[in-house]
Amino acid sequence: MTAMFATDPAIRIIGLSKRFGDRIVLDDVSFEVAAGEVVAILGASGAGKTTLFRCVTRLAQSDGGQIFLGEHAIRTLGGRQLSTARSEIGLIFQQFNLIRRLNALDNVLVGRLGEVATWRVMLRRFPHPDRQLALAALDRVGMLPYALQRADRLSGGQQQRVAIARALAQQSRFVLADEPVASLDPESAKSVLSILRDIARTHDCRPRQSAPGRVCAIQFADRVIGLRAGRMIADRAAAAFAEADHRMIFAT
Amino acid sequence: MRSGDAGVSYPDPARSWIGAAPVRFVATLLLVLLVYGFSFYFVDFDVGRLWSGLPKLAHWAAKAWPPDTSELGVLIERAIETVAMAVVGTTIGVVIATPCCILAAQNITPSRLLYTPMRWFLNALRGIDSFIFALLFVAAVGLGPFAGVLGIGLHSAGTIAKLWSEAIEAVEPGPLEAAALTGANRLKVISYALLPDVLPNLTSITLYVWEFNVRSSTVLGVVGAGGIGQELKNSVDLLDFARLFTIILIILAMVTAIDQFSAWLRRRLV
Repeated sequence: MTAMFATDPAIRIIGLSKRFGDRIVLDDVSFEVAAGEVVAILGASGAGKTTLFRCVTRLAQSDGGQIFLGEHAIRTLGGRQLSTARSEIGLIFQQFNLIRRLNALDNVLVGRLGEVATWRVMLRRFPHPDRQLALAALDRVGMLPYALQRADRLSGGQQQRVAIARALAQQSRFVLADEPVASLDPESAKSVLSILRDIARTHDCRPRQSAPGRVCAIQFADRVIGLRAGRMIADRAAAAFAEADHRMIFAT
Repeated sequence: MRSGDAGVSYPDPARSWIGAAPVRFVATLLLVLLVYGFSFYFVDFDVGRLWSGLPKLAHWAAKAWPPDTSELGVLIERAIETVAMAVVGTTIGVVIATPCCILAAQNITPSRLLYTPMRWFLNALRGIDSFIFALLFVAAVGLGPFAGVLGIGLHSAGTIAKLWSEAIEAVEPGPLEAAALTGANRLKVISYALLPDVLPNLTSITLYVWEFNVRSSTVLGVVGAGGIGQELKNSVDLLDFARLFTIILIILAMVTAIDQFSAWLRRRLV
């Protein structure tokens, strides 16, 4: 599962395509994520979820189509504009991507890097409000007691919660989560998903995602999009998502 | 049960060394012999000469005992000078290497256009030994440890920058990507997300180069670039073997102590 949430300006993806050599990874994918909506993107491994995620964040450039995050036309931006647009996306990764030797709090402060002056970052002197924001974010995911614990001493589930706090501290308008629970054990996955769902409901911004634990994923989303071999084969309200849809998406 | 008993025979890919490609084996053998033949010819390898020189060495060794400790104070001072040369030289290397390694690390270089020339430049610095640089600097700034320090600095800059950039390239890309995607500029990403991860490694590399530099500074005196090597050369020139022996003992003690100390420090870092 990959998930997307957006605030007032929606995410719009129109006719997106991407190929690696001869292999078509995304084929004419179009959908919108309305303000306040959580969309879960389901698909077997290799269906194109991560590529979609990388195209939306411009870690990869798509071959055709258009991507709008609010007013930002992501595909055509460059330089400073691209980095401004990116600072408005909170990202949650499968591998957490925490800085191993820094503690949880310092990792959450990464979410403030875009805003804080360069000299302050270099001296590690974050302004008081930013530190408070980071502590609040840690509290939000239940990791406040671990604020001074080094990231590489935390369990996978704890690391992912710190990573969610980092995305929260960024105060972004959009949240994208790529396979946020795929490398967690079922218990941790459940707690991470419930935190994500809670954030999606109450924060002014909500996430988008992809997961093997489909029951959780669907509970947490408003809408489900099915990807198979790079094509969109389902787009349903989560409540209407049926066993047949699941079979179709994951059929081998 | 052997497979043969069941009437099944598997094709067996095992071949002896020579059996697989006898022509290639013989050709390789000939090539190796040829390289050795030429090499021994070029170095005038002559066991006979070593044999006839042995009594001379034995005579000197006899004259070296007991070691002459009358100038111990001066010699120890020169040994300290040698270590100091390594400290200052390595520091100069670090100062030059810091900007260079950013350009020379593929994952953080601001420009592909600068990356390749920087690699060449570093290879050139590394390819020219401290000894050669020192020789040039002695001519430029005069005899003494300052010339040696400059030589060590330039050569170490190449080594440190290369090893550092390799350590930086080996870092996991994920956390850097995550930091960059928050809209942080390169300087923020490098100082906040990269540095804490690689710093122990970079420090360990620097200590290793320093350790190496202590050893190479001991010979820099031979070209007049200061340190205990200069005393060593004087003693050889004067055939003062008792003094020479003391110097060699001091060098041994110094190098061993530095190696142990640096290894201990590096173990604590990682």
